[in-house]
Amino acid sequence: MTEFKKLWALTLRNMKCYFKDKFLFFVSLITPMILLVLFVTFLRTVYIDSFNGIFSMFGFEAEEKLVNGLAGSWLLSSVMSVCAVTVAICSNAVMIQDKIDGVVNDLRTSPVKGTTLSLSYFIANFLVTLLVMLSVLVVGFVYLAAVGWYIPAANVAMILVDTLCCVLFGTLLAGVIESFISTQGALSAVSTLVSSLYGFICGAYMPLSQFASGVRNVICVLPGTYSVGIMRNHFMSGYVEELGRLGLPYEGQQALLDGFDGNIYVGKTQMPLWSMYVILLGTCALLLAAYVSIVIVQNDRRAKNKIKS
Amino acid sequence: MIIEIENLNKSFKNVKAVNNLSFCVKEGELFAFLGVNGAGKSTTINIISGILPKDGGKVTVCGEDVDKHADAVKSRLGIVFQSSVLDKRLTAYDNLKSRAALYGIFGGAFRSRIEELDALLGLKDIVKRPLDKLSGGQRRRVDIARALIHSPDLLILDEPTTGLDPQTRAAVWRVIDELRKTRGLTVFLTTHYMEEAAIADYVVILDAGKKVAEGTPHELKTAYATDIVRLYSHLDEAEKQLASLGYGVCRERGYVDVEIKGTRVATQLIAAYPDLFDDYEVLKGNMDSVFLRVTGKDIREV
Repeated sequence: MTEFKKLWALTLRNMKCYFKDKFLFFVSLITPMILLVLFVTFLRTVYIDSFNGIFSMFGFEAEEKLVNGLAGSWLLSSVMSVCAVTVAICSNAVMIQDKIDGVVNDLRTSPVKGTTLSLSYFIANFLVTLLVMLSVLVVGFVYLAAVGWYIPAANVAMILVDTLCCVLFGTLLAGVIESFISTQGALSAVSTLVSSLYGFICGAYMPLSQFASGVRNVICVLPGTYSVGIMRNHFMSGYVEELGRLGLPYEGQQALLDGFDGNIYVGKTQMPLWSMYVILLGTCALLLAAYVSIVIVQNDRRAKNKIKS
Repeated sequence: MIIEIENLNKSFKNVKAVNNLSFCVKEGELFAFLGVNGAGKSTTINIISGILPKDGGKVTVCGEDVDKHADAVKSRLGIVFQSSVLDKRLTAYDNLKSRAALYGIFGGAFRSRIEELDALLGLKDIVKRPLDKLSGGQRRRVDIARALIHSPDLLILDEPTTGLDPQTRAAVWRVIDELRKTRGLTVFLTTHYMEEAAIADYVVILDAGKKVAEGTPHELKTAYATDIVRLYSHLDEAEKQLASLGYGVCRERGYVDVEIKGTRVATQLIAAYPDLFDDYEVLKGNMDSVFLRVTGKDIREV
């Protein structure tokens, strides 16, 4: 019980350190917002034209509100899945800063277990990332409500579940990567690298259908693709159902989903939604195992005097 | 004994940071651990406090082996590090609260402990302010409060007054004295200020990871320090005559220093050559000269 109280006290402390660092908090929050604004400002019309191109192939004309909402939901699903990783990487800065400032050494002079300490960073990062992502989601939902809202309540609930899954994935990935980082420079390098690469390699910035088939197959091996996939499904399906109700034929709906990653194919096999969850959560389990192993090995190495002071 | 160290060894790759070190610290004493930067002081402290594992030897703190009962040892010692490890963005109160939780001190117990520490350290005006808004001295007080939050039996101070102004240094020492007097706290001190080491009960001097001298300040001064007779008159004559007698003589601007072995020798010298000693003073050897003699290094310059 006391160890649990210590864990919670450390978690609160880590979260407070994060939120008191106004710059860190601002950067974490503003990054997804900027991405959302950039998407809406520069890419919205591109996607609206693409959607209308598909509709015209089937002799269908969609009302503006529906198309605007569909474009917004596609863009928001991209932002949510990408930023769950990039924000987690950025938010874990408290752990790195503690290593740099020697706070970790100080904490180790108290009777707190090394695993409790590591777990507190993980939980704090998870909660902070979740809070930031929920804030982004609220802003995104307000935007969708303004331009065209066709997301049923059940899908809203599933989007919340998806957010939890994506944040868990992002936090675990950040925990594993950043276990090896102990300088601000390395953290900046990793943040920059992940921010610039991740959106592309998980198919969030561009639909997978626009990649060459070889690249698409490689991307389909990466678990991040399925964090985008689950988001796409729950953000877009309400819009697609409404399009069907208004007269877009089934083939047209499938063409839309195929072209914009509502359906994900590995080779020629369509991945069912449940398999995306299995892959994503399975990856989370593997990352958790890796993270726990790293923590144990690092504590063990410390105990066996193999680390440099 | 509150600390017992036997044949302690620690290396970093090819560098022997601590070399077969043995010493003891008695309960309630002010123990000074001296050495130039890189002598192995911080490594030893890190081993005592369980941050760093050792290569060999035995370390017992408060009767517990640090390897076997690390948590028990950690619960009984508090450390003030060279540089503050407090969270600068948080308030002093938040810093102390999260620290107290690690020792199982929550709620009412924490609040009453804060009141006790306020009475001792005068935290009232600063406790709700963020650390980065406090002066160096105020931050040091919070550092000490953090180290004392769980009422430890042993307080390790790793150069606690380095970089502080004389007034704040005096304030820090007032707190340390108060703690020793009222609670019988054992204080393990590393410092670069020899006047702080001079008031210690026992001193160990470390050089390149090895113990090179130990004893009370008086014993060390008697064994290693050189007294000096400083003459302010008849400088040319005194320099020539005393040097010819084999004394170490050093001519400076306006005075001549003559190294002597104890005040008895000074009395004999003055009696033998009264004409030279119109204006003079006898200076007792201090811890600076002990350190210089033992290590061959000036602690302030290395």
